[in-house]
Amino acid sequence: MKTRKRLIALFVLPATLVYLVFFVGPAVWALYYGFFDWSGFGQNMQFIGLGNYVELFRDPIFLASLQNTLFILVVGGLIVFALAFLLTVLVSSGIRGKKLFRAMIFLPNVVATIALTTLWAFIYNPVFGLFNSFFKLIGWQAGASFTFTSIDRLFYAMLVALIWIEVGFYLILLMAGMDKIPAEYYEAAKIEGANQWQMFTSISVPLLWDVISVGTVLYTIFALKVFEFPYAFAGLTPPVNIYTIGMYLYIEGFGKRDPIYRLGYATAIGVVLLVCVIVIVLLLRRLMRREVVQY
Amino acid sequence: MTAQAKAPTRAQLAQRRWDLARKWASHIPAYLVLGLWSLFTLFVLLWIMESSLKSNRELFSGVWALPSQLHFENYANALFAVDMGRYFLNSLVVVLTAVIVILALSAPCAYILSRKPFTGSNLLTLLFIGGIGIPQPLLFIPLFALLNGLSINNTLFGLGALYVALSLPFTVYMLTGFYGSLPLELEEAATIDGASDFQVFFQVMLPLGSPGLITAAIFNFIGLWNEYQLALVFLNDPNKSTLSLGLYSMTNALQFNGDWVGLLAGVTIVMVPTIILYIVLSEKMISGITMGAVKS
Repeated sequence: MKTRKRLIALFVLPATLVYLVFFVGPAVWALYYGFFDWSGFGQNMQFIGLGNYVELFRDPIFLASLQNTLFILVVGGLIVFALAFLLTVLVSSGIRGKKLFRAMIFLPNVVATIALTTLWAFIYNPVFGLFNSFFKLIGWQAGASFTFTSIDRLFYAMLVALIWIEVGFYLILLMAGMDKIPAEYYEAAKIEGANQWQMFTSISVPLLWDVISVGTVLYTIFALKVFEFPYAFAGLTPPVNIYTIGMYLYIEGFGKRDPIYRLGYATAIGVVLLVCVIVIVLLLRRLMRREVVQY
Repeated sequence: MTAQAKAPTRAQLAQRRWDLARKWASHIPAYLVLGLWSLFTLFVLLWIMESSLKSNRELFSGVWALPSQLHFENYANALFAVDMGRYFLNSLVVVLTAVIVILALSAPCAYILSRKPFTGSNLLTLLFIGGIGIPQPLLFIPLFALLNGLSINNTLFGLGALYVALSLPFTVYMLTGFYGSLPLELEEAATIDGASDFQVFFQVMLPLGSPGLITAAIFNFIGLWNEYQLALVFLNDPNKSTLSLGLYSMTNALQFNGDWVGLLAGVTIVMVPTIILYIVLSEKMISGITMGAVKS
């Protein structure tokens, strides 16, 4: 028994220690920093209680960031899942090259974010971009002179690119669930005269419910913390109307263009982000709880 | 039975051919949608690589034309003038080291958590898995203070330490799922044969679990190779840049130098290694995503 204990300690402690020091500890600290007004490392911290949080909910930039983030979560999420479902059904419809299509659609997920943002800057470029050049080629003047990345369209242009990446990930998830559904179910339904839509809603969706609920939780976490892609997509000085919560946190805390660092405030943004994740994930789990269909 | 064994009649043959044609026809929408989606992805990636071999003047004058001659100097510029070569090495060192350390820490831990429960092991598993839900930006400032305190801020070592710590939740989650799915018998047989717990792990479970470890390694390698968020926050010294961060500064420089083809060469340098890994190992990667999420 003693060697068993030694084994457990030896195997579990190193990972746990690194995790506690570089992950759990900092996460707990963040809750503490959120109560302070703090302008820089080594500077005095001033305790202001809930001051940062009160200010946040009156801060129009924060509210705009929150709104964008929720848009990515809800509207982006609906589109991602609708497309992932559609493509899953098409890929699993008994066609040839199933694995090839799946691999191609997932491909953007293995490419560096910053390479993808450059790729999309190139696609959207008004002078030699793919879209404008294509419209010019087919002789559509209005399309050829359309600016995809003007300030008011930038956010939506970013979202399109983001959806193109994310669909592949959820396609893989849904397909893995789909592959586990016995083919006889669909054959039986077909004999009974069910159409594609009926088979989808009464066989696929209920049997995929587990996968769908894991997927929505993963997407929620992803969407709420999204920072890398919109930040790099927006260029040197991102306009406020593309801000996400993660971007605003980074810009307030480390905003290199601006010598004012607001570390306490930025951390409070992070805490709000964490609360959003916890609340929305718990809500989703409650909403999506359903008896698991055994098969 | 005898009737069916006979050669099919002409009418039956026609019917069969008709059914086959209908089956093909019913697949046309699927091929169309999936084909267009895949072609778009393939096209833009190849288009980037092709354009990276043009001169800037050629690029601006027409996107459809192939390069008149191959401008490999774009790559030479990116690798040496912009120092992407150095960043490539930085990334390689940090990412490979981090992946090895991640596996060395997670594999034994995940093995115990899934196979040898002890008091509090469920809580610890939960603590690890809960980390998946923590948004990284929350940790930026405390981690900055921590790395400053340890005097490893702005070093590749510090960045590597963060890579390891922040990759633990997902890796432990993936590997506990994987070890949990392995059959118990081999472990028991080894114990009966008199192997110690250590021997069981190193001689039975580790080799048995290698498919899971390989998947975890590819996953972490690709994720960390592509990472630029933490590098952006924790590295300021251009000499220590990782490849993704180097590419980010190239995109910023674009506003001043307008060197699109150089930037596209940089993009190609960044994405080729992971795409090659993916081509070789896509099945393994894809199975990794579903290792934890889809129960078998």
